[in-house]
Amino acid sequence: MIRAGRGLTRRQFAARAGAIGLGALSWPILPGCGAEPDDPNRLFVENWPAYIDPTTDDWQGSVDRFRKVTGIDLRYSETVNENQEYFARIQPRLGTGRTIEADIIVVTYWLAARLIRLGWVDPLPIEQVPNAANLEAGLRNPNWDPEGRFGLPWQSVIVGIGYNRAATGFDLGSVDDLFDPRLKGRIGMQTEMHDTIGLLALGLGIDPESLSSFAQAAPAFEQLSRAKRDGQIRAFTGNDYLDDLATGNFAACVAWAGDVAQLAKDNPDVRFLIPEEGGLRAVDAMIMPKGARHRQAAARWMDFVYDPAQAARIASAAQTYTPVVGAQAELARFAPALAADPLMFPDGVTKARLKTFANLAEDVEQQFDEAFSRIIGA
Amino acid sequence: MSIETRRRLTPYLLLLPGGLWLALFYLAPLWTLLKVSLSSRQGRFSMDYLLTWDVANYQVALTEFGPQFGRAFLYGGLATVLALAIGYPLAYVIAFRGGKYRSLLLGLVVVPLFTSYLIRTIAWSSILADNGPVVGLVSWLGLGGLLESLWITDQGRLLNTPAAVVGGLTYNFLPFMVLPIYVSLERIDGALVDAANDLYCSALAAFRKVVLPLSLPGVFAGSLLTFIPAAGDFINAQFLGSPATTMIGNSIQDQFLRQNNLSVASAMAFVLMFVMIVLVLVYSRRFGTDDLA
Repeated sequence: MIRAGRGLTRRQFAARAGAIGLGALSWPILPGCGAEPDDPNRLFVENWPAYIDPTTDDWQGSVDRFRKVTGIDLRYSETVNENQEYFARIQPRLGTGRTIEADIIVVTYWLAARLIRLGWVDPLPIEQVPNAANLEAGLRNPNWDPEGRFGLPWQSVIVGIGYNRAATGFDLGSVDDLFDPRLKGRIGMQTEMHDTIGLLALGLGIDPESLSSFAQAAPAFEQLSRAKRDGQIRAFTGNDYLDDLATGNFAACVAWAGDVAQLAKDNPDVRFLIPEEGGLRAVDAMIMPKGARHRQAAARWMDFVYDPAQAARIASAAQTYTPVVGAQAELARFAPALAADPLMFPDGVTKARLKTFANLAEDVEQQFDEAFSRIIGA
Repeated sequence: MSIETRRRLTPYLLLLPGGLWLALFYLAPLWTLLKVSLSSRQGRFSMDYLLTWDVANYQVALTEFGPQFGRAFLYGGLATVLALAIGYPLAYVIAFRGGKYRSLLLGLVVVPLFTSYLIRTIAWSSILADNGPVVGLVSWLGLGGLLESLWITDQGRLLNTPAAVVGGLTYNFLPFMVLPIYVSLERIDGALVDAANDLYCSALAAFRKVVLPLSLPGVFAGSLLTFIPAAGDFINAQFLGSPATTMIGNSIQDQFLRQNNLSVASAMAFVLMFVMIVLVLVYSRRFGTDDLA
């Protein structure tokens, strides 16, 4: 509350800076306004934590490799923790026609769609990214960016059910199992509306890809609301669900495949399931905020990460579903077990069972968000 | 400048830095907040707020978030009472029986504040977990049924219950209760208690008639320092609570950062502030410190 309040105040203060002489104090460090030349040797990327191979004692991570190969001064910051809050952070600047410092930001597809709709992004220099040809078919013109001009995928995340076998006492199979009375008070749901509602919709036989009105998804909201009222749901969480799953506070929850895979390494009771009704595919996309200055360097970064050899390194660290064809063969050279992981490299049948949440119109999205917010009790 | 003028101006000059600070970083933002709460936004993600003097945002704040307001004051109030019940005896012992360990004991009260508030709260979620030490101890002692009937546990669980939220608030704000009470107890002249005893007061009567009234300013300050932040808190409800224990702080955070509805969020913040001020005024009338301080 305090953060957003200050953001706004700061903006309004700045407008009256002359009057109260406070501008210099309260104005954040200004990035250039597009007038500065595109310095090809500088780049600022904002991404989610633990989404790239880090530099270790015996391994040079992707960021350092990129710096070495290209000589570009890359600033790589793991500052995106939650889509909604990240949006609230960039909104005061992008919403008033000013740019932010980052040249590339990685956000989830529905937020990318919103930013595209609002006109707060620049088209990507795709013509300078020859390795974009390595992308999996179908990812170049997704429903959140039909023209394929504004976003390129970073990684995909498979949304399904994570469960702790020791806590459930049985193996889960369907979305409906989340509502099993035996698991009362031990179910976790995500605060990420698209993942929770998308999965419940699948369970109810509603295709999340073709949603266009609130009425179509209403049964999923009702189911969630009922489950909350009945005490079936223990808590709504963000990234912190993993601890609850590991300790058994959550017997089962809506979960992201890569996370659960990491957790399962230490705790064999923790399992991930794409429910029989299907799972969701959530793409985190690279976009360039409007007015981003370092277009050339940004193109080189995108080209770098779409090289199958580099993509394999990134996928091996994040354990997510890479968009780059050829990464699997590269990965097989140094991590054959990961290369054979069906959640990182789903086969055709599995891919067909994964849906992507529809790109909702703004007013419909608002109805979804508000209804969801009321259910999660905030 | 004559000495007389200077003497008259001194208090104002002394007030100036604090006053400026307050004006720039409290009153000005508050004014903005008030304006935004009376504005309507031009589109969901627009940063343009048109001042319409519309009270609709207040209507939404009051009608749709009643339970969250209720829980904020209930949990904040309970945490304050609990912190007082735990903090007063603690401060008393440190002040009157601490001896040479007084500084050490006081240090121990403050030590948790050196760790981040967030980390401490998240740590409690491990302590209270289903397979955690507290739940284990409760079942080992066979107290499960008792705690269940006192509504402290819910189906044998402690985490994600109202008790966990109130417990977290109590724990986190306890030092702010202990320190002011300690200060006011420490200032009490021991000779006054001796005098009471000489006049045939029992130990209890001496406490009731001498120590307690003299420590009330500390109790007053401590309960405000506990209640105000506790009622506006959202961290404890987020990490230790469930969908049924959200407080108004959670709703304000949600409206600000997730729904992007600054108008409603500002209106809620104002309602919260207003109710707090009224409560504090009533409280200070009732237990006012003017004649005690």
